[in-house]
Amino acid sequence: MLSTLREMFDPSFLSRNSVAISLLVGFVCPLAGVYLVLRRVVFLGVALPQVSSCGIAFAFALQGWGWIPHAHDSAEERAIAMAGSIVFTLAAILVLSTLERRGRGMIEGRTGTVYVVAGAWSILLLVQNPFGEHGMLELLRGEIVAVSNTDLLITAGAFLVVIITLFTFQKEFLLVSFDREMALTLRKNVLGWDALLFGVIGLVISVSVMTVGPLVAFGFVLLPPLIAYPFCRNMLQFALVSSGVGGVMAVFGFAVAYQQELPVGPTDVALLGVLYAVAWFGQKAAVAMRQRRRARAG
Amino acid sequence: MTDDFILQLRNLTVGYDRQVVLKELELRVKRGSFTGLVGSNGSGKSTLLKTILGIIPPLGGRVDLRLSSPTLPALGYVPQRESLDPIFLVSCFEMVLMGACGRVKPGRRFSTTEKEWARRCLQETGAGELERRRFSELSGGQKQRVLIARALATRPELLVLDEPTAGIDTAATVAVLELLRRVHREQQLTVLMVNHDLPALRECAEEVIWLHQGKVLQGSVEELLRRDRAEALLGLQLE
Repeated sequence: MLSTLREMFDPSFLSRNSVAISLLVGFVCPLAGVYLVLRRVVFLGVALPQVSSCGIAFAFALQGWGWIPHAHDSAEERAIAMAGSIVFTLAAILVLSTLERRGRGMIEGRTGTVYVVAGAWSILLLVQNPFGEHGMLELLRGEIVAVSNTDLLITAGAFLVVIITLFTFQKEFLLVSFDREMALTLRKNVLGWDALLFGVIGLVISVSVMTVGPLVAFGFVLLPPLIAYPFCRNMLQFALVSSGVGGVMAVFGFAVAYQQELPVGPTDVALLGVLYAVAWFGQKAAVAMRQRRRARAG
Repeated sequence: MTDDFILQLRNLTVGYDRQVVLKELELRVKRGSFTGLVGSNGSGKSTLLKTILGIIPPLGGRVDLRLSSPTLPALGYVPQRESLDPIFLVSCFEMVLMGACGRVKPGRRFSTTEKEWARRCLQETGAGELERRRFSELSGGQKQRVLIARALATRPELLVLDEPTAGIDTAATVAVLELLRRVHREQQLTVLMVNHDLPALRECAEEVIWLHQGKVLQGSVEELLRRDRAEALLGLQLE
């Protein structure tokens, strides 16, 4: 394993951009996921990557239908796909979060509907349009193989904006998420802060889906915060430990996938699942041991 | 003298989603008073409170708050503690610091002065030793103290409490009410408190606002909380 890691971080390693992008997604996605877990809208983390994929498929379809000119190179193609992903994700997150705040209807039902409908439309749009099918299938499988320098730079730039925004406005995001009524009595623009927070989450998800696919994006948004939560005492710790778990597992997952010749994305998510199970049992065992010790002392 | 009032409701209609709960209210709360807001379940106490606080927009009329600074928020709000989700990993100190958010600009960190003020508020409410504890792990009475500390951290002119003694044991209820009485006395703070506990209100409130079947009665504690009056209003015999 050590030699694989050494090879992965060697500057001459052919897939070095893929390693870098895995690391970025691993570190940054959980920072957005923390808020989805705390606001109890975990399902949004499932539905949004699917909506993002639908946006990408739609962008490809627009070219197929001749509504927008065909992309001449892969950079142009990715730019169009990125635009589709961002527009669809932000629109969906805006509508779903507004309805969630108003508390009308069944949130889970609505989010589930968005998930299946977006999934179905992605497939229908791709079937109709073989133009984008090849790249899209790679993306859906989560094969982080060919990542260009431009993709890496765009992802790094977008994630830098996300990190700065999340840490700069941490107290505002916490206040409007934890106690909306208190925020209103303090004359905070709750809708504005909510829109910024969900905008940032939408950006993380759409950029991640564009680079690593919906499965991996969802895995890294949700599993690291769920793994970290029982072991953290405060919000900062929760954000940092979640991000750390994501980053470490991204590297480890890449190494395992590389060694065993497996697709990177599913390997990452499968390993996160194993870690979640280990952490859950570990935490239960620790609680049981503490209780036994207390009973003995009592 | 209108200047004696910190809060005045003018022809105020409150409700949710255009559904009227209370209609055309006319009320005034004296500056420096301790007022209890009572009424049966569903009488509109919490809706009225939230409208006064600006959480729910009024359906008609006006809420006039006569605060010394029009720009700085000076309302201390103690919500029902069950409304706060225990999933958040918030320490008592972080909780109280939230009260200072109205004075700290977005993106700025809390200054040392604000942090010291938050610690003082915790000590003031007898919750100094809870500073590092997680809010969700506290008992009902301890949570109430921390929430009052957070409300005080806003440096309020009007302290508004939504059933602060609901669901806590007798000893904690006595302690919370004693704390509120002391804060009201020492800081000359105007207090508006929703409470079901009539004996508790008799002990600490000076004025009472009684919501009953869409009507509002306002008067002194002696006037409204007399046993025979309360029984007549509620249409039952109090034990």
